[in-house]
Amino acid sequence: MRKRLGRARDTLAANPTATAVGIFGLVLLFLVATPASWQTSTLRLAVPIALAAIGGIFAEKSGVINIGIEGLLIVSAFSSIIAVHRLGDGGATMGLSNLWWGLLIGVLVSVVVALVFAVVCIDFKADQIIAGLAIWLISLGLAPFVSRIVFGSPNTAGISRFGNVTIPGLSELPILGYLLFDTEPQVYLMLAGALGGWFLLTRTTFGRWVVASGENPKALDTAGVDVRKVRYAAVLLSGVFAGLGGAGFALGTLGTFAGGGDTAINGRGFIAIATYLLANYHPVGALLGSFLFAGLNSLQTALQSAGYAIPTELIRTLPHMSVIVVLVLVGRTRLPDAAGEHYESGED
Amino acid sequence: MNSGSGPMPDRIRRLLERLIQASVMERIAISVAALFAAVLVGGVLVFISGSFASCRSGLDVAGTTFCYNPMQVYYELFLGALGHPLEGGWSLTNYNLATTLQQTTLLIFAGLSVAVAFRAGLLNIGTQGQLVVGGLATAVTVVFAASIIPSGFVGTVVLIPIGVLAGAIGGGLYGAIPGVLKAYADANEVITTIMLNFIAVGITSTLLSWQFQDPESNNPRTEPIPEYAEIPTVPYIGFSGGMDFSLLALGFAIALMIGIAWLFARTSFGYELRTSGIQPAAAAYGGVNEKRMTVASMTLSGALGGIAGAFWVLMVHGSWLENVPSIGFDGIAVSVLAGNNPLGVGAAAFLFGILESGSNSIGTATDVPPELVGILTGLIILFVAMPEFFRMIGTRYIDVRPTEPARTDGGRAPADETTEDPRGADDA
Repeated sequence: MRKRLGRARDTLAANPTATAVGIFGLVLLFLVATPASWQTSTLRLAVPIALAAIGGIFAEKSGVINIGIEGLLIVSAFSSIIAVHRLGDGGATMGLSNLWWGLLIGVLVSVVVALVFAVVCIDFKADQIIAGLAIWLISLGLAPFVSRIVFGSPNTAGISRFGNVTIPGLSELPILGYLLFDTEPQVYLMLAGALGGWFLLTRTTFGRWVVASGENPKALDTAGVDVRKVRYAAVLLSGVFAGLGGAGFALGTLGTFAGGGDTAINGRGFIAIATYLLANYHPVGALLGSFLFAGLNSLQTALQSAGYAIPTELIRTLPHMSVIVVLVLVGRTRLPDAAGEHYESGED
Repeated sequence: MNSGSGPMPDRIRRLLERLIQASVMERIAISVAALFAAVLVGGVLVFISGSFASCRSGLDVAGTTFCYNPMQVYYELFLGALGHPLEGGWSLTNYNLATTLQQTTLLIFAGLSVAVAFRAGLLNIGTQGQLVVGGLATAVTVVFAASIIPSGFVGTVVLIPIGVLAGAIGGGLYGAIPGVLKAYADANEVITTIMLNFIAVGITSTLLSWQFQDPESNNPRTEPIPEYAEIPTVPYIGFSGGMDFSLLALGFAIALMIGIAWLFARTSFGYELRTSGIQPAAAAYGGVNEKRMTVASMTLSGALGGIAGAFWVLMVHGSWLENVPSIGFDGIAVSVLAGNNPLGVGAAAFLFGILESGSNSIGTATDVPPELVGILTGLIILFVAMPEFFRMIGTRYIDVRPTEPARTDGGRAPADETTEDPRGADDA
């Protein structure tokens, strides 16, 4: 039983075309068999998980394990809400809707925190796991701290969220139209992020540098590429993706940010890590994997509205339980060879 | 060191001792430096965030009003936690100091829990969940046992050990889960323990609403344990009963701390545990069953987390509350600051006890949100995690290499950097 999923995944990876057709068929089957409300809510709940996972792929592929993406989701989510609130809910600044300013500021804050993490890990050679945990714990404190100063409570005020953007023509398509072409901006961002991330990682020089920096930094260094710069870029990129995920989730789905306890992010950054391990660092695979956890997440509302008296607290932990099941079935994933290690140019 | 003390030349042993001595001193220096750096960054954060708050009086700089005074905040944080010893009418057994020592007690258990796993090479982020589960086990067991055991002195003597044991078993079993998953399915323990924290909250609140809710309370909590089952205070010299702190509990925590230090240093189990942490391959070669060691150390770690939960119930609240404070996460900070050394855990726990108790003083005496303490905790971990930062500062401004051991062996090559680094030796 053990590692069967991992082996199955390797078989799938060896036959990409067949895999793509198979997955597409499965997705179509799901779309026909499940209620539309569950599908749309799954797609929205997938946003933070998928985007954080794609960001995490870049960092880890480059050799820096970014376990702090949970923290990046938290800071981008609450800072985007605060920014919209400060600029004026429902208004626009310099011709751009304040919601988009909020998204930009959320991403910016996430990148700044990612920069701190990068400096600590790359230049000061910190233990990446411990530093990542520290980033998470700092964010857990920062969210209610800032909220209390601005709103007098650990929860932020509410804002009016992103509305649907309908693409004329395409939204009329059967089965997929209403789902993919009549939805909120953050969902488009997620879909574009997965495709863009896949292109960047597998089809560009930068992508090859990132992979080399994680697998064999010495070879990359010998080829005249600065490993340090590649790792910095990859970690900052994880900040951009996680920032889009956190801010998009807050501005499109939550509309407010609860900063108490585990915050409204509620472990989605860690679920993202399990997602990309399951997807074996494939950005599009991570998108599909995020549907699994988001689907379980949206089961909660679906079951409740169907009138089942299953305890909410238990249903809420379904995604977390499934993460453990997935990790057990996948077994150990092959990390990039130099992941977690420091690299010093000119070292022997 | 049972199997380590073979025929070893005196000269090498002296050198090793000096190396260890140097790394311990360096560790302490780094921890202290990290603490100061975190306080400094936190102070800047407090000062800047004051410009976003609204207040009647503050410091005006170029048209911006800065509402918060970091010095006042730290005064309240550190001295408020001791009950303001510099002000008049101070008594040693004051309420704030009692809260500080109460938190210290809980944090010793939580810090030991994290340290045991770290030393075995496992990152147990799940102490929080183990504490939540263990605490519920304690509360439920004691309430049930109290119905069949006579009250009064006998009840105290019987119920408290039963309660602590129940917490240890509950937390231990919950900690064993990620251990088994790691040993037999290769599931990364960092992610599984974090997930199990969320799952612990879900399971315990479901159990509470299903079976254990106190019908006489509107808050989500279990039935209160009888008063004689709470940890008794020491008469005459101790803190009064209303302060929810007992010197007996602190004494037990310190005894347990020394016990764990002894376990590490003097028993073969401790030796095998540490070897598994430093050199898993060498441990396996030396006959240590790696899988069993993983499960055993996670179980021990979970049991210590469960004991923290037991004392949270038996000493602080007298029942299990759904809203469990983040003692388990602070335990990570305690262990990291202590360099995963059981004896260091005591000092680090006292420091974080001050921070936790001082956050109450901040909340009452200033307008600064008490969540500042959570940020400081994260900053301390972050700074401890980057000793290189302090070494760079040290070599740049002080112009000494504090890490370089005295060279006694003449012409030999200098030690490899990785062996100089105490982190590599302690928590790889």
